[in-house]
Amino acid sequence: MIEGVIEISVDAFLEILDRAHKGAPCEAKDWDRKIIPSKVSEKLKEHGLKGTCRPECPINTDDSLADEFFKAGFDLAVETGMLCLDTERVIKFTEEEIRKTIDRAPSELALGQGPDRRVIRARKPEDSTKPIAVSPLSIVVSEELWVPLVQGIMETKEVDVIEGPSFETICGRPIMAGTPYETLSGMLAARFHKEAARRAGRPNMGFLAVGASPTIFGQFGGYGVVGGYDPKNTVALVLSPCEMKTSYASLHKVAHAINCGGIVYGGSWSMIGGFPGPPEGAALAGIACALLQWAVHLASWGTCNPMDIRYMGNCGPEAQWALSVFCQSLSRNTHLLVCAIPNSVAGPCTDMLLRETAAATINIATSGASSADGPRSAGGRYTNYLTPLECKFMAEVLHGSAGIKRDHANEVVRKLIHEYEGELRHPPKGKSFPECYNTKTLEPSREWLDTYLRVRRELKDLGIPLDDL
Amino acid sequence: MNENVLDYLAQAVVEGNVEKAKELTRVALEANIDPLDILNKGLSKGLDSVSGKFSKLELFLTDLMLSADVVQASVHILRPRMTSDKVEHVKLGRIVIGTVSGDIHDIGKSLVSTMLSAAGLEVHDLGVDVPAKTFAKAAEEREADIIALSSLMTTTRPYQKEVIRFLQDCGKRFKYFVVVGGGATTSDWAREIGADGYGKFAEDGVQVSKELMSRRISPPLDSPIIIE
Repeated sequence: MIEGVIEISVDAFLEILDRAHKGAPCEAKDWDRKIIPSKVSEKLKEHGLKGTCRPECPINTDDSLADEFFKAGFDLAVETGMLCLDTERVIKFTEEEIRKTIDRAPSELALGQGPDRRVIRARKPEDSTKPIAVSPLSIVVSEELWVPLVQGIMETKEVDVIEGPSFETICGRPIMAGTPYETLSGMLAARFHKEAARRAGRPNMGFLAVGASPTIFGQFGGYGVVGGYDPKNTVALVLSPCEMKTSYASLHKVAHAINCGGIVYGGSWSMIGGFPGPPEGAALAGIACALLQWAVHLASWGTCNPMDIRYMGNCGPEAQWALSVFCQSLSRNTHLLVCAIPNSVAGPCTDMLLRETAAATINIATSGASSADGPRSAGGRYTNYLTPLECKFMAEVLHGSAGIKRDHANEVVRKLIHEYEGELRHPPKGKSFPECYNTKTLEPSREWLDTYLRVRRELKDLGIPLDDL
Repeated sequence: MNENVLDYLAQAVVEGNVEKAKELTRVALEANIDPLDILNKGLSKGLDSVSGKFSKLELFLTDLMLSADVVQASVHILRPRMTSDKVEHVKLGRIVIGTVSGDIHDIGKSLVSTMLSAAGLEVHDLGVDVPAKTFAKAAEEREADIIALSSLMTTTRPYQKEVIRFLQDCGKRFKYFVVVGGGATTSDWAREIGADGYGKFAEDGVQVSKELMSRRISPPLDSPIIIE
């Protein structure tokens, strides 16, 4: 069992399954078009939260506003619940049940062993405790580049826990969701991760897995099976569709984690411009959905990040504001281990990727999240558009920003956003791993290194206390 | 007066008021306003406004869906009043759309579906996790012009290729344009799998579909229409 957590109760999970089968019926279409928009709007109005988004102040500094968002999010979670797509029934909880869920959740958990042991801790806004850096996201990488790229990331001592990347193929065949290719890819990811860890000299790192398991099969193939990810060292990744929905695929992953003696990271999204509406609505739905990750998926660690539907990222001013409110409301009012994701859209070897990453990461660190997972290089859209350097950069900024005051962070983030805001919809693609790295020596190209050093210097000049190189 | 009716109709689109739009469409027809003008100077004008408000976060996905309902209701009234050559002129296409097998992500597909519908195209949304065979069957039943395939994940992206291959194997590829989109897709991918169109954003999907319908040629295209 992972240190610091309590074994998931089978009885508790059976109760969730029962509710998924006996809850009030609701068609997914009605959920999206009627229930979510009307309930979110009702709660925003009831709690006086309409029109509170201040894009010019991307990191919220009003604690009472964050607390009111939490109250509204809690109410929304209780009154709305989570829809199970397969049964088209709503899984609901009483106020008391959600409170108990929060109370019994771990406030810290340790992953990895020896020198690679890392403790993920509950934090508060402006907390000087360093958050944990998780990299990379499940961005697609070719089989032949996978191990060296991950080795490069693992050799970065600032990166604490490993998640992705995903495979493009398995032995040259495309991996198709729901097929045995996916089942095999789960085990391949575990083996490749272990090989990369061995080469990097960090064999005991903690993992969040299985990154590329759109259905349950990748998880079945790689998690808790002989030769796969060890549940003692790996948190089971359970992602569910937005808004506030679950599915059998997600619930199967929880069941599998229970069977293997593991614990769960529950994650989802909340869309600005989507069914919850404005940034305030997305922040609110995100808070409610995060609470329901703990209640429905029995998570020990998790998130429900706001994203902006207009450019499918979260580094613009409105999304940054929503992200800050999301992190602050949960970190101020609970001891939950909340993760947040810098959803960048620009590619490697660009100033913009580093500036987006810095803005979101400073926000995450100062708003009290326990960990950051990312960045999403090139929006995760292109094969091999991921390098170790932006992962190192995110981890450095995340750790360096712990303890910074939000007022100061706001000044920095505002300046960073100003530099790239106009390019969010059409960001530079940048360069792929082989184009800006020596894939044998794992050294970045002069151009990429200079870009990194320049933006890093900018941040230091702006007062972000990064270590000397 | 005529100008006012069209302005009011545009406003009804923005408000998502179906009943008001139906009434104004009838009023405009009774005033002998050309149905094409009703479409272009009333409904389309309203849609441009909706689109602008969406990009400024003044309107949201639910509002877009209501506006799409308004346009569909008005077009339904307009269609029988158009002469055959005008009907041909405004034929914007019939589309079956869905998220491919293994992928249950709905929101991007719903946004495209709504925008297509708002633009006056006839849209049949098959939902999520849709197998190749279901796309082909629905396209045949609905006499579709375009099959639009969404995929958010790289592990579901190969199913877009699978749909094209299935159509080829059944000898039906020449019947439908195939458009791809979604978080996991790129223009290179669209070219690689022999799709006819790719749009990076939802509104690009509308432009691609209109462009495909305006070309008087049969699918498949030698190279896809790309908007990004």
